[in-house]
Amino acid sequence: MKKRIFLASILGALLLTFGMAGTASASGESVGSCAIEEIEAFEEETGLSLHDLHGGGNEEALETLSDSVEGCIEAPSPIIPEWNEVIWGGGAFLVLLALMMWKGFPAVQKIMNQRSEQIASDLDQADQAKADAQAVKAQYEAELADAKSEASRIIEEARQQAEGLRSDLQARAESDIAEMRNQASVDIEAARDRAMSDLQAEVSDIVVGAAERVVEANLDAKTQAQLIENYINQVGSS
Amino acid sequence: MKVLALDFPPVSHLFEWPDFAFEGTHLAMNKTVLIYLFALVLTMWLFMSAGAKKSLVPRGVSHVAEGGINFVEDSIVMQTMGAEGKKYVPFLTTMFFFIFFSNIFEVIPFIQFPANARMAVPIAMALLVWVIYNFLGVKNQGFFGYLKNSLFPPGVPKALYLIVTPIEFFSVFIIRPLSLAIRLWANMVAGHLLLVTFAVLSATLWDSTYVGAVAPAAMLVIMTGFEILVSFLQAFIFTILTAVYMGGAIHPEH
Repeated sequence: MKKRIFLASILGALLLTFGMAGTASASGESVGSCAIEEIEAFEEETGLSLHDLHGGGNEEALETLSDSVEGCIEAPSPIIPEWNEVIWGGGAFLVLLALMMWKGFPAVQKIMNQRSEQIASDLDQADQAKADAQAVKAQYEAELADAKSEASRIIEEARQQAEGLRSDLQARAESDIAEMRNQASVDIEAARDRAMSDLQAEVSDIVVGAAERVVEANLDAKTQAQLIENYINQVGSS
Repeated sequence: MKVLALDFPPVSHLFEWPDFAFEGTHLAMNKTVLIYLFALVLTMWLFMSAGAKKSLVPRGVSHVAEGGINFVEDSIVMQTMGAEGKKYVPFLTTMFFFIFFSNIFEVIPFIQFPANARMAVPIAMALLVWVIYNFLGVKNQGFFGYLKNSLFPPGVPKALYLIVTPIEFFSVFIIRPLSLAIRLWANMVAGHLLLVTFAVLSATLWDSTYVGAVAPAAMLVIMTGFEILVSFLQAFIFTILTAVYMGGAIHPEH
């Protein structure tokens, strides 16, 4: 779409440039046509033709015609301003200056100042909002840091409690084990003592019994050996 | 007038337009006068329209008017007069737009004439500028201080003042307004002559050869674009020189 508008603009500009080129000239007439007009006017005024001027006696008329034809080429100095243009042009500028100072410029300046103030105000508000947001963020971050610290503290406390509990339990278990071990040793010692005592009593009984038997009968070698073996078996089975 | 075997209109016919109202008086109206009035109306319309649109983002004519003010303030006033010159922004902006609109009719179809190709407004505005900068000089430096600073520039060996002072006098008080006016006028005359030359050349060669018209027609298009640039540039130059002269009158050390 933009391409089409661009091409149409170029085409339009070309048409207007070439089509309207003629308006660049004030009257469109050339020096030649101007000279012809002057000659025709001269002939009409004086009743003389160009052929009449070739003969003698018409030098004055010839000079008049030459001056008027030269006028087609000559023009007033373009650097000298025309009064009517100075008055209208200078007046237009002064009127414009007055109108601009009075209405035009202040109107636009006011809009520009309002816009600047609005933008400055918006920027201030944005700065304020940013500062507020940063404050809230800082507060959240501080609270988060506090929460993390609290969590760490709680975890550490729990860990220490657990450690304490574990130590206590271990110490108690070790103490119980030691106590049980001592108790067992005592029990074993007591059982051993009791067994030894029983054994001693048994052995005494057996020895007494054996002695009684030895005393009661003459023992031959075979009986003696039998007795010893029985004794040993009896001790071993007890 | 035969130029390169072409029937070229007399130069006076390219710049002098017949009166159509109040003929023969000092208030006679012609095409040049109409263009000046167009420039007045256009500038006022531009600023009044821009002043009526209260949108946060400038659009259309607001862009042109506000861009123009910013351009004059930033690129002309601040560069030549500093912050002190801001009070002259309305005057310089008006001058810039009036000259630009008077010039740009050079390429506007159906009109195709730069009003500043006539000497009237360039010389009138140059004289106004002359009055303003001399007034500012006297107001800010005092009559004798202004003369002393203008005619005896500091840092010049005293013997050279014999040469420098007359030159400065002619330069500051006589040549400045003339050069200001003639620069604008001559540029617009030259531009208009160029466009007419290529237009006549194109038309004549089209009538006789068709193909021969291609080169001058291309040149006509190129020169039309170039003249848009010249119209802007001359308005800018006239305005910035005005600001330079005013700034020099306010701050002699510059």
